[in-house]
Order: sequence, then structure tokens, then C-alpha cells
Amino acid sequence: MDIMEKLTILADSAKYDASCSSSGSTRTNGKFGNTAYSGICHSFSSDGRCISLLKILLTNICIFDCKYCINRNSNNVKRAIFTPEEICQITINFYKRNYIEGLFLSSGIIKSPDYTMELMIKTIELLRHKYHFGGYIHAKAIPGCSEYQLKKLGSLVDRLSANIELPSNESLKLLAPNKEESKVSKIMNYVKVNQNKNFTPAGQSTQMIIGASLETDLDIMNKSENSYHDYKLKRVFYSAYIPVNQDKNLPILKMPPLKRENRLYQADWLLRFYNFKVSDLLDKNHPNFNVLVDPKCSWALNHLNEFPKEVNSCTYNELLKIPGIGVTSAKRIITSRKFFKLNFNDLKKMGVVLKRAQYFITCNGKYNLNATLLSSSFIEKNLFLDDAEKEIGYGKQLSLFN
Amino acid sequence: MENNYPYLTNQVYIYDNDFISLLSLIKTLLKNKIRPYKIEGKEYNPSLFENIINIKVENNSNILRELKNIFGKENMQIIYYVYSSCENNKELVIYYYLLNYFKFKDNLIRMRNLRCVSEALRIKEKVAREAHKFKGFLRFKELKSESLYAEINPDNDILFILAKHFQKRLKEFNWVIKDVNRKTYAIYFSQKLYFANEEKINLKNVEFSKEEESYEDMWKEFYNIIGITLRKNDRCRMNFMPKKYWQYLIEMEDER
Ligand code: SF4
Repeated sequence: MDIMEKLTILADSAKYDASCSSSGSTRTNGKFGNTAYSGICHSFSSDGRCISLLKILLTNICIFDCKYCINRNSNNVKRAIFTPEEICQITINFYKRNYIEGLFLSSGIIKSPDYTMELMIKTIELLRHKYHFGGYIHAKAIPGCSEYQLKKLGSLVDRLSANIELPSNESLKLLAPNKEESKVSKIMNYVKVNQNKNFTPAGQSTQMIIGASLETDLDIMNKSENSYHDYKLKRVFYSAYIPVNQDKNLPILKMPPLKRENRLYQADWLLRFYNFKVSDLLDKNHPNFNVLVDPKCSWALNHLNEFPKEVNSCTYNELLKIPGIGVTSAKRIITSRKFFKLNFNDLKKMGVVLKRAQYFITCNGKYNLNATLLSSSFIEKNLFLDDAEKEIGYGKQLSLFN
Repeated sequence: MENNYPYLTNQVYIYDNDFISLLSLIKTLLKNKIRPYKIEGKEYNPSLFENIINIKVENNSNILRELKNIFGKENMQIIYYVYSSCENNKELVIYYYLLNYFKFKDNLIRMRNLRCVSEALRIKEKVAREAHKFKGFLRFKELKSESLYAEINPDNDILFILAKHFQKRLKEFNWVIKDVNRKTYAIYFSQKLYFANEEKINLKNVEFSKEEESYEDMWKEFYNIIGITLRKNDRCRMNFMPKKYWQYLIEMEDER
């Protein structure tokens, strides 16, 4: 099988992993290549996702039989395996032409977790030591491998992670019967405890599949919140379930639940940068996000009695919770208002989206609208009309994520 | 834009189309408390009512260091980015930015209610955004000599910023980046970085290495495969990667 055919098979079987981020590392020690702390997107695929890394599997041969996975053992698909040298050649030649920031290597499980990890280590060792490659490498650890292997691989890569895949143990049993939650958490814990500038400098991330199992948004967000806390994750990726197989335990979907995925990403963003807690956003009586309004607006509409806020005096935390004000504009407001009183025009210059924010703020005591308009049904209608026009802010929010 | 200097509405000051000579001119203007109506490059065609004023500018090769000591590194970087932009009034924005520095010192950068500050920062962010995009979208091709060659067509003059980026990244290679619109080149050869104009360069008859085509094919194949059909979203892709970048993107060849 020639290298082109292998690439076709092993990129195709790797594409369902949502992560392609190349951020969080400042590697400068390679003779060839370095990393950019903020990450760089080199292209965008037809589905609008950032392409930053050469995302491939070492092999799509797999002894496991996860129901949702294209590579599962019981599927009759063409199988391939890269040699370490082949992976090095593609990575290096793509990198020097500036197609990519580096490599994202994952693998099906061939023979055993240990055996698979050994092959991955060999590949990345070759890349780092023979070719002196200093670009970004993200590797997926194989659950069930030895601690020694984690240690070795972690010292070679920028990011080492394991996927939670399904938000509860029951779903895991149902859809990924060979996988054990404890083996995944063992990896995540190992990375957390050992992470430093020489061991997975860019930390770890994880992924959950959305909509293949029955969990609510509340279940999923709780899982995320706990994982951020327990494992100091850099990111949780949410991957709308793409139906590739048929199985009695899988839902029947025509389209992946993309809107839902988007809401989860927005909420995740609120957890990480806006000091929200899951309990602010969802509860037992409202376990799922409103598909029509984004989570932050939704929260504000449910707390209208706390608004409007005076931008010249409210706290940073209060600024963050105002729809239309982001982290950057909130910071700018805080530093600027020490020197002068802000008016609506100044807010615009700082990047505040007045169209959204105007309902929730006053500037020097002035409210931009007729005060009687501060009613949730009016705002909701207007914000919703806004959103409908630009497809619920889909593209814009996502741009922040990569 | 706020200051109290005498102001004649038709005085145009000319500089030599490079950063150093602009800084030297502005320094002279500030020193002599002259408020220019316009500052323009030397190809400028004055209108009937405008007067080109020639003033004696002291040329000082250390001016960069000198100004850095006065204005600080961050402000100098902002000014450089503004200078690299394709904005019409960039020279005046720089002039007023520096002028206001004397009043507000290191707080200036936070005074976004001043127009020169909000303009300078807006332009700087615009240039930085374009440079960041090109750090990803630039494509090298491998020549027979094993050197790498790339062409770009940015709106702003970001060649220097890009060259600095690749100097760190591809330090063991030889490479050339050509800004097609400005006909300028960044050349990195034997670990040294040079900049040159078209006259000094002969790039006729370049041949690509024999591997070049097969890696381009692999990249195109990878690109086509990695998109998930059920998630297809042209609008989103267009947001992140507008058509103006496609010209040199190998993977977009078939869709151009
Ligand atoms: S372990 Fe499961 S998810 Fe991973 S490749 Fe094998 S079948 Fe697919």
C-alpha cells in the first residue's frame, strides 16, 4: 500500500476527533520548528473547522468494538498502518511547507494498549530525536498502557490526553463496552500530577461525544466542570455525534446535533473565562440549554432584576455577565474608567456589542432605551431576531475557540 | 485631535518612504512644535492649495533606540504596526499618538477616548490580525536547490513581521518570501535575513524539487478528507478564510 493510500485511510478515520488546537506551548529547543503560544490555524476545512495539526491515526486496526466508531473491530473497512518513518516524512514535509503546526497522533488499538503505545513512542522519538522536530505534538494516550509509557510519551509531546468520550459510566458500558472509565481517569490524573514545562507543557484536553447517549446538557456540563477541576484540563471538546454505524444502542439521527454542540461550547467558554458555574446556567428543572438564545443572554434574561448595571462603577465580575461584553472589552473598561468616564460611544470603541449590551447597562446613569423596555419578553424577541439574522452567532463564537 | 500648536491648513510634510525617515521627520516636527496638515510619502501629488514644506531633518541612525528610550517598547511596536498598515492617514495617527504621549505618558495606551489612540490601536490590531492569518496561510514550495519559496499578497506591509516569525521557525533552511503587490522580498540565506526589491533579485527559471508535487497532492488529499460532509458549512469557512487568501492556498486550487 503506498503512502498516499495510507494517508487517505488514516486521516479519514481520525477526523472525528474535534481537537485540533496547537496552543499553550512555547517550544523553542528544536533545531527545526517551534510552537506559537496562541496556536495558528493553517487552513479551514469544508466544515469550517480550523486545521492546525496533521491529524492522523497510526493505525485504524482496532481490537475494541465501540459502537459509535468507524474503526470498530466489527466494521468491514480497509485497514492500514503507518510506519514511524512514514509519519515523520509527512509531518516534516508538511511542516516546512507551512501546511501545519505539527502532529496530532492517535491510534486504534493494535494487539494491546502497551504494544500500540510502544509504536507511538517510537514514532515520536524518531521525530524529536532523529529529525530534531520542534513543532507541536499532541498525542492521545491509549487507556490501559503502562505508567512508564505515559512518562516517556509525556516528555516528548506538548499535549497528552485521553478522551472521556461519553459523559456517564452507564453510557460507556452501553456504547463502548471494552472501555473503562477508571483507565481514562488514570491517564488524566497522571498528566495532571506530572505536568510541567518539560512534561506535556501544553497540558491536556479531552472530548465528549454529544447526542449518542441520553445525558442532558446538565449532565454533560457537570462532567466538564468536575473534569476541569479534578484534572486541570485546558479544554473540553464537544463533538456532535456523527452517525457512521447502525446499532440498536445508537440513536437514529439524520443530522449531527450541531446547535446543541454550539450551545455547549458557549457554556464551556462561560465556565472558563466568565466565572460562571454550571449551577448558574442549568438546574434540574431546566436541564437543557435554550436553542434559541445563547446561555449568557439566557442567564441575563432570568436575572433581569439585577440589571441594568452602571458600567462606570460595577465590578469586573459584573461586567463579564453583561451580554455583549467580552473578556477583552471588560478589561478595557476597567483600565480606562480610571482615567475618564465612559459614554456609549467609548464602549463601542472598546469592542462592546451595544446592540446586545444596551438592554443591560447604563452609562453615567443614562439608559440608552426607553426604561420600560427592560422586560424579558421584549429583549428576548429582539435578541432572537438579531441571532436569527446571523445564524445564532455560530461562526463568531467558534472563532474564539481555536 | 487635540493640541495647541499653530496650525496652517495647507502644510504637507514629505518623508522618504521608510520608517526611519518618518520617525526622523516626526521628531523634528515635535521638537519645533510644528503641527502638520498632512505627512505623506515622497510620491505625493499636492493639490492646488497645498504647500510642500521642506524642513531640515536631522538624520540619526540611532533614532530607533533613542525613541524607544523615550516612548517605551510597547508604544514603538504599536507605531511600527501602524506604519506597516495600508491606512491613508497612518502618518498623522503616529504623529498625534507620539504628541499625546508627552501629556499622558504611559497611561496613553488606555486613553481610548482619544481618537489617535483608538485609531492607532484599531490599526495595530488589524495589521496584527492579518500577520497572524498569514503565519498560517502562507505556503512554501520547495525548489530544486531545496530552498523554500512563498508568495503572498497581503493588504498591509507585513513582510518583516512574517520574516521574523519564520526566522525562528525555519532557521536551518534557506527561504524566500515575496510580497507580490509591493514587489519586495524577504530572503533568509545561511542563517541571515535580508530584504530586497525586485531590481536586486533574479528569480527567473526557478524549478521545483521532484518531491514537491507529491507532497502538494498529499496535502490536498488530506484537506479534502478531513472535512466532515455532514457538517459542511461554507459560510463558516468563508468567515475564517475569505476568498482573498485562496490565491496561494494549494488546497483551494480546485475550488478557486
Ligand atoms: S478504541 Fe473504540 S473508539 Fe478507539 S479506535 Fe477502537 S473502536 Fe474506535
